Amino acid sequence: MIEAKGVSLTYHDGTVALKDVNIEVKPGELVYITGHSGSGKTSLLKLLIGMEYPTSGSLKILGQPIKRGKARKIRKLRKKIGPVFQEFKLIEGRTALENVMMGMRFLGISPRKMKTEAISALTKVGLEHKIRSKVENLSWGESQRVAIARAVARKPELILADEPTGNLDHDNAINILQILNSFRDNNTAVVITTHATHLIENQEDATYIRVNKGEITIEHSSEKIV
Amino acid sequence: MKIFIYNIGYFLLEAKRTIRLNPLSNLFSVIGTGLILFLLGMVLAGWSVGDKLIVALKDEAEVSAYFMENTNEKDALKLVNAIKGMEGVMDASYIDETEAKAQMEKMLGNEADILGLFDENPFEAFIEVKINLDYMDQVLSDVAKLDGIDYVRDNRKVLEQMKGISDGLKLFGVLIMAAVGITTLIIISHMIRQGIYNNRDQINTLRLLGAPDGFIGFPFLLAGTFLTLLGGGLAAGLLILLLNEGYSHLSGFIPFIPLPSLEELSDKVSLLILLVSAALGLLGSLFGVSSIGKEE
Ligand SMILES: Nc1ncnc2c1ncn2[C@@H]1O[C@H](COP(=O)(O)OP(=O)(O)OP(=O)(O)O)[C@@H](O)[C@H]1O
Ligand SMILES: [Mg+2]
Repeated sequence: MIEAKGVSLTYHDGTVALKDVNIEVKPGELVYITGHSGSGKTSLLKLLIGMEYPTSGSLKILGQPIKRGKARKIRKLRKKIGPVFQEFKLIEGRTALENVMMGMRFLGISPRKMKTEAISALTKVGLEHKIRSKVENLSWGESQRVAIARAVARKPELILADEPTGNLDHDNAINILQILNSFRDNNTAVVITTHATHLIENQEDATYIRVNKGEITIEHSSEKIV
Repeated sequence: MKIFIYNIGYFLLEAKRTIRLNPLSNLFSVIGTGLILFLLGMVLAGWSVGDKLIVALKDEAEVSAYFMENTNEKDALKLVNAIKGMEGVMDASYIDETEAKAQMEKMLGNEADILGLFDENPFEAFIEVKINLDYMDQVLSDVAKLDGIDYVRDNRKVLEQMKGISDGLKLFGVLIMAAVGITTLIIISHMIRQGIYNNRDQINTLRLLGAPDGFIGFPFLLAGTFLTLLGGGLAAGLLILLLNEGYSHLSGFIPFIPLPSLEELSDKVSLLILLVSAALGLLGSLFGVSSIGKEE
């Protein structure tokens, strides 16, 4: 699903966000990315969705190389990814339901099915009572859940969630993590960045990627020494 | 295609939303294109009239042959028959003094009163020879050679001048059309760019979700084409008003100009304007939508 070999990312202003990253993620894996603020977690996810290209090294997502000149193919690839952005990127002036459906319209799903699945995703994140609310009127945590619903309703092969628990209370955070975990199956890998390390400790069969100033260390829960 | 059908309702709503996002600026664009297309409509109407005129003028090619003094009516009729037999002559008829006067009165229309200034009928009898314009020279010299014909007059100068004017106007019209086309394209594509700029966050998000450019751009295409058509409708409306007004004034003034019928002209021109505006709207929007452009 994700194959990164010696990937580095240096921004235009010279900031080195990632250095020599090597990762391999297989279908069905659950990956947590942790690290201090500014360590490079979002940068890593940006690479995975093709918002940035590696400055060096090679990166393949679902078999598609992420590099300059492949914008069209990368756009297609994104249909198979369910992204939850750190700043949500919801579309204002629309209801929660319209936002979720917006992520599905170009996937070839019939309108009726699209609506049912969008509603079911919103129900899963506990927002069935906010379906018809404009997203700009939702609370921070509610907006976050709309963003999650939009990502998972697409039935993606790869879920990339950037700080999905960042603005939620303890119970809701656990709930959201459970929901995201529930989409992990034989075909779908789930990648989550989070500061809430206490919520993700000791999970069965998870991969932990720790980012520190752009460098990563990887642990699998089976070998994890707590 | 499936995606397109599934989303028709969405595309229409989105188009409406983009239009509403910037109502004043879009209104000005509609008025602007409307006025420009109105200009185009005037050119088209002018062409239409000019074409009709040219066709009519071809039929107006004629030679007037005047008799020597003391030619009696019997000889005159013989001459008429002789002329009728010539190559390039379509018809020849004897016009006596009274008829000549009547013709002039008809041609002058409202101004015919000036003929009342003459005590006597100032016109003389002549032979009116309708000819094929291409045979003008030959017929002129043949008729002049006939016994009993004093001199001939032709209206070729007038015909050629009018044709020259009409050709000049056509060239002018082509230039105006090019200007109108380019200006409309610029206005529309700019309007669409504006809309795309106003929606840049949404567009960016859709890209990140993997929406194809066609899906992202289609509502803008709809909006642009719709607004241009609206401008076209405005232009057509103005033009019909103008034509109605113009016809009611003109017809009294210059009765000898063969105008196409009002209905025919306004139908033809307004349909053309709508078609042109649809085409320009589509093209301009396509230019505008292409500014969604590349992402890097
Ligand atoms: N577009 C950019 N141009 C230049 N520098 C950037 C850009 N985006 C991020 N950076 C820098 O890259 C580094 C990593 O940023 P990143 O957003 O990946 O951190 P993060 O781990 O997601 O932090 P947080 O936990 O606060 O979200 C930071 O120093 C940041 O300032
Ligand atoms: Mg971040």
